[in-house]
Amino acid sequence: MLNYAIRRLLMAVPTLFLISLMIFSLLKLAPGDPLSQLPLTIPPEVREKMRAALGVDEPLIVQYLLWLKQFFVIEPLRGFDILFGTHLSDGMQRIISWQTRGPVFSMIAERLPQTLLVVGLAYIVGVLIAVPIGIVSAYKQYSVFDQIGTFLSMLGLAVPPFFSGVLAILIFAVYLDWLPTIYNTNLIVNSWSNFTEQFLQMAMPVMVLAVQTIASISRYLRSSMLDNLEQDYVRTARAKGMGENVVVFIHVLRNSMIPVVTVITLGLPSVFGGAIVTEQIFRVNGIGQLLITAIYANDVPTVQTLAFIFAVLIVVFNLIADLLYGVLDPRIRYD
Amino acid sequence: MEVSDLQTVFWSRRTRIYAANGVSFHLNRGELLGVVGESGSGKSVTMMSLLRLLPSPPAEIVSGRVRLGDRDLLSLDPSEMRKVRGGEVGFIFQDPMTSLNPVFTVGYQLMEPLRKHLGLGRSEARKRAIELLSRVGIPSPQDRINDYPHQFSGGMCQRVMIAIALACDPKVLIADEPTTALDVTIQAQILELVQKLRQEMGMSVIWITHDLGVVAGIADRVMVMYGGLVVECAAADDLYANPRHPYTRALLETVPRADMAGQERLKSVGGQPPHLTVFPTSCPFAPRCPHAFDRCRSERPPLMPVGEGHDAACWWDVIEGSPRDDV
Amino acid sequence: MLRMVSLLAGAGVASLVATPALAERGTDGVVNILSWQAPSIMNPYLSGGEKDTDAASLVLEPLASYDENGELFPRLAAEIPTVENGGVAKDLKSITWKLKPGLKWSDGTTVTAKDVVFTANYCMDPKGGCAALARFQGVDKVEALDDLTVKVTFKELTVVPYTLFVAMWSPIIQAKQFADCLGTKAPTCTEANFYPVGTGPFVVANFKPNDAVQLKANPNYRDPNKPAFAGVNFKGGGDALGAARAVLQTSEYDYAGMLQVAPDVLSKMEKGGKGKLLSVFGTNVETLFMNLTDPSASLPPEERSTDKHPHPILSDVRVRQALSMALDRARLSEIGYGSMGKPTCDFVPAPPIFAAGNTECLKQDIPGAVKLLDEAGWKPGPDGIREKDSKKLKLTFVTTTNATRNQFQAIIKQWWHEIGVDVELRSLDASVFFSSDPSSPDTYQKFYADVQMWTNYSDAPDPGEYVATYTCNKAPLPDKQWQGSNVPRYCDTNYDALVKELGKTAAIEKRAEIVKKLNTILSDSYAIMPLVWRSSVSATSKTLGGYVGSGDSRFWNAQDWYRRK
Repeated sequence: MLNYAIRRLLMAVPTLFLISLMIFSLLKLAPGDPLSQLPLTIPPEVREKMRAALGVDEPLIVQYLLWLKQFFVIEPLRGFDILFGTHLSDGMQRIISWQTRGPVFSMIAERLPQTLLVVGLAYIVGVLIAVPIGIVSAYKQYSVFDQIGTFLSMLGLAVPPFFSGVLAILIFAVYLDWLPTIYNTNLIVNSWSNFTEQFLQMAMPVMVLAVQTIASISRYLRSSMLDNLEQDYVRTARAKGMGENVVVFIHVLRNSMIPVVTVITLGLPSVFGGAIVTEQIFRVNGIGQLLITAIYANDVPTVQTLAFIFAVLIVVFNLIADLLYGVLDPRIRYD
Repeated sequence: MEVSDLQTVFWSRRTRIYAANGVSFHLNRGELLGVVGESGSGKSVTMMSLLRLLPSPPAEIVSGRVRLGDRDLLSLDPSEMRKVRGGEVGFIFQDPMTSLNPVFTVGYQLMEPLRKHLGLGRSEARKRAIELLSRVGIPSPQDRINDYPHQFSGGMCQRVMIAIALACDPKVLIADEPTTALDVTIQAQILELVQKLRQEMGMSVIWITHDLGVVAGIADRVMVMYGGLVVECAAADDLYANPRHPYTRALLETVPRADMAGQERLKSVGGQPPHLTVFPTSCPFAPRCPHAFDRCRSERPPLMPVGEGHDAACWWDVIEGSPRDDV
Repeated sequence: MLRMVSLLAGAGVASLVATPALAERGTDGVVNILSWQAPSIMNPYLSGGEKDTDAASLVLEPLASYDENGELFPRLAAEIPTVENGGVAKDLKSITWKLKPGLKWSDGTTVTAKDVVFTANYCMDPKGGCAALARFQGVDKVEALDDLTVKVTFKELTVVPYTLFVAMWSPIIQAKQFADCLGTKAPTCTEANFYPVGTGPFVVANFKPNDAVQLKANPNYRDPNKPAFAGVNFKGGGDALGAARAVLQTSEYDYAGMLQVAPDVLSKMEKGGKGKLLSVFGTNVETLFMNLTDPSASLPPEERSTDKHPHPILSDVRVRQALSMALDRARLSEIGYGSMGKPTCDFVPAPPIFAAGNTECLKQDIPGAVKLLDEAGWKPGPDGIREKDSKKLKLTFVTTTNATRNQFQAIIKQWWHEIGVDVELRSLDASVFFSSDPSSPDTYQKFYADVQMWTNYSDAPDPGEYVATYTCNKAPLPDKQWQGSNVPRYCDTNYDALVKELGKTAAIEKRAEIVKKLNTILSDSYAIMPLVWRSSVSATSKTLGGYVGSGDSRFWNAQDWYRRK
């Protein structure tokens, strides 16, 4: 399995290079200008100088190679410096955002906590709620519970967060006045009251995001459970005198979770990617919001770096999903 | 074991399927009862109903009694029923490859009933599991106990299934077409194995098959089913020598024999098996029966004694060549 | 010379009235500001975007600023230099600023004239990419005469010398902090760009670009009793509607600005009584621009949309006038902006002294427009669309993707259709439309269309620079990489001559007269058609006291804000 993993990782290298080149070319081909958000009162000759200062006018190959060097040499060195207190990267030009003139990686590091907290928690909560719903819906197929569950999941999948988010704000913030609508990223949790505040400000975005996870994962688990409940081995387990709990939660669930775990793993890169719409609505200002503002501002270095990190995450989590499949299903062996 | 008037119905949205329509039979201690019939004759449904293994809904056991020792299995509460399953009655199924759970080791699946019914600890269960595996003829069982089902061949899987069914020394083993999915040489090995184990352990066996030939050599008695009903039941030798129901006779003609001349074509039972969407009030075989007459179409024949330990459900007396008028 | 009222005394009076006498620095807790566009940098020289310059104005201060009436008042300067007080040379070629004595940076060091000189060097470095560079153009040298005196010498006679070091776009930065940030190193000074040392009422405590900024009261602010607030919590993200909601409905925040939200929605929110709306009319005018050159795709790229080929339809002033007469500006204003907009015929709507106040365009006159088109030789065709020499009267009308603008497009199309003009509508993403990428065919400067609509404005109360945007030499051309502010390619020697005269006129009344004349010339040319004078709308909570919108920055008087009890 280790060999397999190493082989897969090596195979990913040219893929990722190709992806980075494609991201870069697409960004360069797309119309837009990093200075388009500036006031029209700034005259053209000044804009020209500002563009030159950003390095927009360098030859494309130079820009690309510079980015490669910054991403694969300077930024890792910088990380090494921070970890071990060395000074290897001093004086080297890190990847700098055109919008903020600050290092892109510092912004990512600044925003990752809230994204992981909100989007990650929503994912965990979503999966934890989805699993029992999926099991009961399948075990009691066509029951009232299953019908309601099916209806609500359809609703959860069909209603986009820009609607459910605003609806939640109207109900819980405007009318009931229970929850804040704005996420305070500077809140430091060090006391009970801070913790309550943090909990309250996370409630709505987590709720809105979890609904989607619940809807899709519970549907997935339900159909997987249904497939497995019809299998012969279920009859065997019952014929052996096993109780329904053992039959459902050990025999059927273990088999049904194999594809579901894969789906959950493949969904994990999106946790790091943040949730663009929900982050915007509740002003969580995580990775998703960083990406969308960078896109609006034509901040090529930021968009390029984020898009590439997502590509790496997707490749890595695909590999993890494959390896997990091998761990969960004894019929699959990577030799 | 004694079964009387067992009736099982499947409900679907619009229709009902009458799968078993008042099945009665008994099983003596230590005997091997062969149950024969076409696909859809209700033999599997009947046997699964005995242990209430059919999922409900859609299946519903409408009536009947299944006496095992001095208890009625159909009125047991679920937890006692589970003690019977796998404990007193073992079950093996048609397709051994899919009947084992692919993600657990055979050892785990074999130890499950041991720990549940016999209350064995981990290491004891393991010891007994190895013993059982070796008893059903699996080589080097202490190694193979950690293997997964996909690492076994079909025949070996069926041996594992037999080991699971016999794990707790059941009084009755129900084998539902256990050899159908296996190739012929393996079939013979499995038959031999079951025969051997039956003698060693002294249990009763119900052997379901659609192949009269398979049970010929091993069964003590044979029960023929058609349309959810028992149509004939007799000692094996008697039934083969002297079939009294037209369906049994037709069925016997389909069995290839060694003394058959090369040119002779195999016969088949003409017509189609019945649709079981209504409760049978006439003889279900009547539409395909060469001897059918008016009474067959208006009144359902009950199982009637036609000889010593020989029952048949037919208004026509094949010996006399005339309708039975004594009933 | 601009009429200069030192507002130092005035501001003092205002704050005495507004603030309880016992107010002390930092006693009113934190003020919460919500900006749906969060600041991305605290150094206005590297951004120029309003979201950044406004936030930076809480920290960095220029020598002088404009107040809500568009009048200059001294910040770091002791007084506004004028010819009368000798601060401006008689030949209008130099200006001498005197700093207030005893000024301290937020780190406790003294502010000197050297910092001012350094600021000029920082921005004028050609490799630094300084956004305010235009304010430093024409400067010959900036020198420190002593610790408190700075003299700026211009290359030529300069009638409005209040460009550099004036208003939030051009604040003074600390020489010590930015010493290693000159030229190409400017963008790499992240620490200085995020946490500038300033003289304003607040200092940055925590900067998260495009997300949140925390500021605390500057311990060395020159007025020991100010600011009343101990800190500012500046939060960004989301959209304008959500920002309005957070102030007007849930009262989580004290202030939200740039609320480009449908007027009826805003006024409904305001009725909740938790906050109030404030419309500030600056110089923003939503305007139609007519292309006076031929944008036809059949022309070679170096001649398309240039003065080599006049526009086949729009070069006739009668057609342009007819198009203008078909518009009902009052209705557009009502539909799109409600009380937040006013119909206008002037491209210079403010300050009042410069506004021509023309009104003749406000009345819609469809029959008059029809008559003009008939006179111009455009006769109705069989399908109702006018034709001349078998050429259809058809125009392409482009604007940015935005609910109000797209609504305007549809309404205008309807009106023009009534007078027999066929209109094809297009809308483009703002970042594409306002891009200065010369290879993109869709930029507003390239103008590969017949009509465009966007908002133009002046960033200084004196419109001298603003009116100069429409001189002949400012037309975008391919050999200038399509850069140029004269988007309609308007060219009138009379106009150019008047602009030149304005550049030599210092007396304010005289200047106002010329600007009004220029405004009327341009309006009568119908090359640009002002539609709606737009206000900038902000919302404040009931408990935020002392907020006065719109000096040069929305937060120009943050030192005077307080918590209403």
